Amino acid sequence: MLVIKGLKAKVEDKQILNGIDLEIRSGEVHAIMGPNGSGKSTLAHVLSGRPGYEITGGEVTLDGKDLLSLSPEDRARAGVFLAFQYPVEIPGVNNTYFLKAALNAVRKSKGEEELDAMDFLELVKAKLKPLKMDEAMLQRAVNEGFSGGEKKKNEILQMAVLEPKLGILDETDSGLDIDALKVVADGVNALRSKNRSFLVVTHYQRLLDYIVPDQVHVLAKGKIIKTGGKELALELEEKGYGWLTGEKEEAKR
Amino acid sequence: MSNLMTQDLYLSAFTARQAFLPGQDQAWLKDLRLKALEHFKQAGFPTDKLESWKYTNLANNLLKMSLSFELPKVTPSAVTAQLKKRGFEVEKAHVMVFVNGAYSAELSSLKTLPKGVVIQNLASALAHETVKTYLGQVASAQKKAFTALNMAYFTDGLFLNLAAGQLLEWPIHVVYLSANASQTTQSHLRNLIVLGNDSRAQVIEHYWGENVSAYLTNAVTEVVLSQGSVLDHTKIGQEDLKGFHVGSIEAKQNEASQFISRTFSVGGALTRNEIDTTLAQKKAESVMDGLYLSKGQQHVDTRTFIDHLSPNCNSHETFKGVLDGESTAIFDGFILVRENAQKTDARQSNKNLQLSNTAKVYSKPQLQIYADDVKCSHGSATGQMDEEALFYFQSRGISRADAKKALVYAFAGEMVERVPSEYLKPALTKFVQDWMGGAS
Ligand SMILES: Nc1ncnc2c1ncn2[C@@H]1O[C@H](COP(=O)(O)OP(=O)(O)O)[C@@H](O)[C@H]1O
Ligand SMILES: [Mg+2]
Repeated sequence: MLVIKGLKAKVEDKQILNGIDLEIRSGEVHAIMGPNGSGKSTLAHVLSGRPGYEITGGEVTLDGKDLLSLSPEDRARAGVFLAFQYPVEIPGVNNTYFLKAALNAVRKSKGEEELDAMDFLELVKAKLKPLKMDEAMLQRAVNEGFSGGEKKKNEILQMAVLEPKLGILDETDSGLDIDALKVVADGVNALRSKNRSFLVVTHYQRLLDYIVPDQVHVLAKGKIIKTGGKELALELEEKGYGWLTGEKEEAKR
Repeated sequence: MSNLMTQDLYLSAFTARQAFLPGQDQAWLKDLRLKALEHFKQAGFPTDKLESWKYTNLANNLLKMSLSFELPKVTPSAVTAQLKKRGFEVEKAHVMVFVNGAYSAELSSLKTLPKGVVIQNLASALAHETVKTYLGQVASAQKKAFTALNMAYFTDGLFLNLAAGQLLEWPIHVVYLSANASQTTQSHLRNLIVLGNDSRAQVIEHYWGENVSAYLTNAVTEVVLSQGSVLDHTKIGQEDLKGFHVGSIEAKQNEASQFISRTFSVGGALTRNEIDTTLAQKKAESVMDGLYLSKGQQHVDTRTFIDHLSPNCNSHETFKGVLDGESTAIFDGFILVRENAQKTDARQSNKNLQLSNTAKVYSKPQLQIYADDVKCSHGSATGQMDEEALFYFQSRGISRADAKKALVYAFAGEMVERVPSEYLKPALTKFVQDWMGGAS
């Protein structure tokens, strides 16, 4: 499904990704772990087409289709979904409006009929329930004044509505208490299927107790330095990143 | 550069024009016109040396044009259809139409009015005692050159007079249509609104141009609000891009009166909107809202003046602007809280959204306070489109163009959302959406 070969990227003249190779097959969940500043978010952003990054080498394909030449919206329509580490607040834009515009844009690109307000509401209400989200959230401005947990749930709600092929979760666990973490993880697990893959970016092993990965990759200084099974996450939790990077562990934040 | 030449033309034209202006049988008015002309002679056209005209220089545009006072008589048939197309349910309004500065009875539709309600074209009401009492009293020819010019040359406009206690049910929608075809012209429109004690009215001044060559609309609106009266006033500027619009609304508010003023401006090569209110007696309230949208080479200049003269008065002013292309917007809002105006609550805010980095914004909020027990605040902010938010939309499959529209609407739509009038809301929503549809 997703194939990344030799991906290099820089931001403002600073080389951040130094040749990343990664292949995620249909239905698999891969975790990317690594110290702060190792380039995890950068990888997530580059995959979703965020402006400001310069690709200096390599290629990325989704089901054989070149991703890097697509606009962010076309990537989303092709099935890439990024759950933001810091979801953006958009005052004045209603959450329902936003979700419906997104779903209909994706449907339209696939030649599917757009949903009317009634059908959409029915669909979104069904998706709200497992996330234990209040219906009132739909009437608020996108993420405005949402708590950390509400924002992350809203990201998962969007993902549930858009049903992407590839879900990229950037530190979705950060800022969540244990109850919210379980709800969010359940939400993600409910979306797991043989046609959908996930790239789960996290600093801590905690999330991976709930979203159990098929593979774990360790990213350091823009390169994958180790790949293993889910037990690698536990090992990292115990020993820190220092034994792999050969550096003293920075204070964990 | 001197504009004496042009000024001379405006002065000398009067001799020839005079006989065609309404009110020939009213000596008091002839006198007012002559005095106004004299004031204009003293003042001359404003130049950019004047602080309040610093960013709006007329020398290279308006004052280079030769604009005839003589306006073609045309009767466009589709005004009602146009209003409907613009989102107004015209069956629910008193509609008054002026074409090229002249009242058109055929195009207007005034519903049956109760006693104590006068809605009339000003030219036909010049013998009215109220007109004689108030015309030129609030918007004095002594203060502003364009107001002086207007007094000298005005042809017509709205006259609204409510007796005490009259609550007008339907809005009065006044259309000022410019349709000068191949001639270049100027029209001077004058409106007078006098509301008796505890009366209430909603007025819409609506300017647009179609089938035009270059033109100037110089409009003056005088508002007298007696004790406890409420005027809900909305000015919609949709002048043609060949049009120049200079407009001044001046209100005098007596005790516990309310003046709600909205300005929605989208058209015109150059637009100058001035709104002044004097909170002359205690407990008067003024709400001034405005939205200007500009693109291309458009120039839109807003200047407001709120004069807190008396205690316990409120004024809330909110202007927003969205600027694209190489357009220029100026907001100059002055609030004066005089010594006697204790317990004043005055708030002012101006926010601008720049869609292109070639658009220019000059925002100048000014607050002068001479009373000590007051609550006053003002703020001004100009920002660009939020790239983070744009990417957020895009990452969900929404095109960048649609994302921009949604964000512009999120910003500008606030000014529409707070309009309570069912008559205005759909049209103003459309006003904003249509502008975005055409924006790059
Ligand atoms: N816009 C930017 N400008 C400059 N440096 C950046 C920018 N974004 C990220 N970086 C740098 O790139 C490195 C990787 O950042 P990031 O991908 O956010 O790491 P992680 O998500 O693993 O913590 C860091 O050193 C960070 O400071
Ligand atoms: Mg990160």
